[in-house]
Amino acid sequence: MKAVWSWLLELCDLSNVPTVEEGARALTAGGLEVESLVDLGAGFGGVVVAEVVGKRPHPESNKLTLVDVITARGGAATQVVCGAPNVPEPGRKVLWAPPGATLPGGMTLAVKAVKGVESPGMLCSETELEIGDDPSGIIVLDADDGTPLGARAQQALGVADWVLDVNAPANRGDCLGHLGLARELCALLGGRLVPPAPEPDLEALAADLDAAALADVTIGDPEGCPRYVARVIDGLTVRRSPRRFAQRLRAVGVRPISNLVDVTNYVLFELGQPLHAFDWHHVRGARGSRDATRGGVNAGGLYPGRGDGNVPCVIDVRRARAGERMTTLDGQERTLVPDDLLICDGERPVALAGVMGGSDSEVSATTSRVLLESASFQPRSIRRTARRLGLPSEASQRFERGVDPELAPLAAARAAVLLARLGGGRIARGQVDVYPRSPIRPIVPLRLSRIRSLIGADLHPGECEAALLRLGCEVVPDGEGHWKVTPPSARADLGREVDLIEDILRVHGYGNVPATLPALRVGPAQLVDDVADRARRALAGAGLAEAITFGFQSRDRAAALGLATDGSDRRAHPVALRNPMSAEQAVMRTSLLPNLLAAVARNASYGIADVALFEVGAVFLRAAGQALDGEPTALCDEPLHAAAVLAGARPRWLGAPQPWDVFDVKGVLEALTRALGAGELRTVAASDIPYLHPGVAARVHDADGRVIGELGEVHPAVRERLGVEGPVFMFDVALGALPAAAPARMRSIPRFPASARDVSLLLDDPIPAARVRDVISAASQDLVETVRLAEEYRDAARLGAGKKSMLWSISYRAADRTLTDAEVDAAHEAIVARLVAETPAERR
Amino acid sequence: MPTTSTDLIAQLERLGGEFAAAIAPLADEQSIRAAQAQYLGKKGQVSDVMKELGRLPPAERPLVGQAANKVKDTIALAVEERLGALAAGRRAADLARAVDLTLPGRPVGGGHLHLLTQVRLELVEIFAEIGFAVAEGPQVETDWHTFEALAIPKDHPARDMQDTFYVADEIVLRTHTSPVQLRTRQTHTPPRRIVAPGVVYRRDDDATHSPMFTQIEGLVVDEGVRVSDLKGVLLHFVNRFYARLTGGAGLDVRLRPSYFPFVEPGVEIDMSCGFCRGAGCRLCKGSGWIEIGGAGMVDPDVFAQVGIDSERYTGFAFGMGIERMAMLRHGVNDIKYYYEGDLRFLDQF
Ligand SMILES: [Zn+2]
Repeated sequence: MKAVWSWLLELCDLSNVPTVEEGARALTAGGLEVESLVDLGAGFGGVVVAEVVGKRPHPESNKLTLVDVITARGGAATQVVCGAPNVPEPGRKVLWAPPGATLPGGMTLAVKAVKGVESPGMLCSETELEIGDDPSGIIVLDADDGTPLGARAQQALGVADWVLDVNAPANRGDCLGHLGLARELCALLGGRLVPPAPEPDLEALAADLDAAALADVTIGDPEGCPRYVARVIDGLTVRRSPRRFAQRLRAVGVRPISNLVDVTNYVLFELGQPLHAFDWHHVRGARGSRDATRGGVNAGGLYPGRGDGNVPCVIDVRRARAGERMTTLDGQERTLVPDDLLICDGERPVALAGVMGGSDSEVSATTSRVLLESASFQPRSIRRTARRLGLPSEASQRFERGVDPELAPLAAARAAVLLARLGGGRIARGQVDVYPRSPIRPIVPLRLSRIRSLIGADLHPGECEAALLRLGCEVVPDGEGHWKVTPPSARADLGREVDLIEDILRVHGYGNVPATLPALRVGPAQLVDDVADRARRALAGAGLAEAITFGFQSRDRAAALGLATDGSDRRAHPVALRNPMSAEQAVMRTSLLPNLLAAVARNASYGIADVALFEVGAVFLRAAGQALDGEPTALCDEPLHAAAVLAGARPRWLGAPQPWDVFDVKGVLEALTRALGAGELRTVAASDIPYLHPGVAARVHDADGRVIGELGEVHPAVRERLGVEGPVFMFDVALGALPAAAPARMRSIPRFPASARDVSLLLDDPIPAARVRDVISAASQDLVETVRLAEEYRDAARLGAGKKSMLWSISYRAADRTLTDAEVDAAHEAIVARLVAETPAERR
Repeated sequence: MPTTSTDLIAQLERLGGEFAAAIAPLADEQSIRAAQAQYLGKKGQVSDVMKELGRLPPAERPLVGQAANKVKDTIALAVEERLGALAAGRRAADLARAVDLTLPGRPVGGGHLHLLTQVRLELVEIFAEIGFAVAEGPQVETDWHTFEALAIPKDHPARDMQDTFYVADEIVLRTHTSPVQLRTRQTHTPPRRIVAPGVVYRRDDDATHSPMFTQIEGLVVDEGVRVSDLKGVLLHFVNRFYARLTGGAGLDVRLRPSYFPFVEPGVEIDMSCGFCRGAGCRLCKGSGWIEIGGAGMVDPDVFAQVGIDSERYTGFAFGMGIERMAMLRHGVNDIKYYYEGDLRFLDQF
């Protein structure tokens, strides 16, 4: 909400008038953040008010005029050359930019010859000062303008002023008008609110007409429209608004249009009450009534007026009927739904309540009699309609946040007076006020003890009471340290004790609250397992950099893994966003891998080919029992995963690059499970994982045989889809599925030496190392301490095709003695015998 | 042929004299030891001479024996000297090595945590110091936990403040981590003191806003919790987190009234600008204050939703963006860098 400083001050009686900076600071500290402060008159300087004392044609040009101006009564006249067609007669005031004055855009004026006549500076137009777009020529002040000669032009133009851009909190609809902000200033700085008082003028400007006889208002939907106030103003002439009046509208961001429209906007910004001006002649009476059938003087027109000044027009506030249509004043035909609240005349909708008027009944250049609407509407209804039709407006924004029904009569009266003044009209006597259920104002009990205990400061009861009074509350003492408080009707947000305490605190100032620490009484300790962070630390320790990527991704990226879509893999059925911001963020990720592969590609595009990245985070799977497509009806499973990718080569030192291979990534996985104390994981070769190379792929099993992840080389087709050129090795494990680690127990440090024995085996190539290890552990005896594969090679010439050689090193140790060679040999030979028989293998 | 003690002694002395010359060309311990065995071993030359000893009259034998011992000593000494000389030569050769230590170090490790993780862990630690435990919750949340139960019904204007990603009518991507508080309040009775760091989503995208970002939210619920306690906790936080930035100069916290539907009173949190010490700079837009989050006292209506007696218990909640904290402290100038896996960025931290 933009507010004009002078406008605010008009509505306040402050004990000490603050500077605009002080005012802005006070509002900000009070929770009405002033986001910017703009000096309206900063665009030009040195331009002054001057009076024309003589004029004659330029000798060389009939388009130019030589104008004599003075800037002090009785001072010497200066002759200025002026090219405008509207140079006024002597006695009127203009704005003169003498040499040295600056104009918007940075131009500095000097003495300059115009067609042979020297001109010291120039007389200014609205366009030149960038304060308007009046095309008629130079600015001529109104005949009765009281700005003294020689004064700054800003003063005459109403731009010796500031605009404050105030960010009002969502629950403070009352601060979307100058009156509400002025109330805050008074509360925060100490002062008295001075609302406009149109009553005396209403009397002075009264017409010999009766509003009740000119408008017949019914509210068909009191929930949608709690109050409807109407006034009628007659004998109006449509014209431009006075310059300073229009200037205020410009300052708050509204383009002045005509006096009738400008007044409704002016009052909206002044009081926060949106108004609508109908052309009374185009609001029809009751169907079947005299005027409705006759058509009157405009019978040939599309919307014949009534032509009879004395038959009441009809206003009915009701919900739309399904399929009902109307044309709004932007010329668009709108199809309505039963949720829309309408203002109808005797025959048809004439406005979308609180959102936009209809084109048939809007005021025009020929309007002479205005039906002024000052109503309050239900926020939710306005919000829905404005949203659905994409029609946010200054009015709908205010109704959406709630407009005080008590404000309607004041706004109607204020606007009526301004209309009569600016349009030269008269105001019909009285107002039509339909207010079926005036709400009961809440009386809120307030305790001093609660104020003190919630804030943590010993506020004085007198201070609390004063703050409430300054905010416009009625305060009645109710025993020692107790009050009964009636908040002002404008403050619908003050309904509970805690709301009042907040306002007392705002006035007291948060800066005056001490800083304390809450007494330490801790409940149950850590609520989450820190497995994610332990995993992150382990993976970073293993030499990988952590990435954090978006939880959503494009459909293409999600589909790049080529997962089975036959329902066997939940990962192939991501949950989609209804309203993504872009196609890049369409579905929730079901795997960490696509984003990591995309990061590999991205880095490669920057010339970084060697990448070791990991991510630990949630993936989003449809919950068990949920349909695999469409919108879910239950929350997702969000298992925590850890995934790593290695691409390119190891960190390099001087020599040739050493490309990563799959055992690097397996080593990282082993480091991770070691760090998490998750026990031995097993990898089982699997050629059916669609996104992995069929020959370099495995499932990762925990000790109980459950699958917890996948490991291998990314399938070339998959990485190509994601723009990755070289091999990428990866693993992806579900951290939540890892067995929980019990605290590690110390084993005794061995006191006796170990003995190692090697065995060299010749096996068929397809037999995996795990098979040998399994046989050893099945044959295992207490004496076996470690089993290590020391060497593996193939050599068709020496070993035969389809064969491989493995050298296993087994270490034997007893806890209580040094083993003899004979004991070790016996144990070793027993294992070897089983290896030969069961693996099967030949001993080499 | 008769043998005299003089002959034998002469033979022994000759052997002793010969040995040093014999091993002089030898450059390894093994051949030196072999040479030593050739002279002193059971079948060595000294033994050969001593075999003649029996032919001498007993009276002369000690003299020859003494000579033999002397030769053995001489040979042992020669071995020792030769080995010593060799060792000294090797050491000298070793010490003659010189390495170009301006060559780069061989890379070790090289892995690291994401800046946001580092900051989050630090935050959790700072709050742990004053008794906060960590809580978590789902990212895809119910509308009820995200809005309704936090006093933000469907048509509430506050839903504009955080434009929401929807998955279904009643399922959203959480727009704040407040649902976590609600979930812990549902399952845990006061006293409660938690921080909930986590990823949240809002439909917003520019240099300082990302559709996904990380919040840390704190909650204290107990008897007698006051606005002043909120201020104290925030003061602790800013002074720990930004301490290295300000060189130890104390930072101040300013609470500005604001509106969040689930707290009352609600405040914006500003900290005094540690970059310019209040003089005004680009980061604080000249104001001397930097906005770092929102906070407030838990609204009694929200307590009612989870069955906590708001007359007995009060509490406060605060929420801050972790990206923004890291941007301020580390000069990150575009929020998008955090999520792209770009090593040119990641490797800087
Ligand atoms: Zn600063």
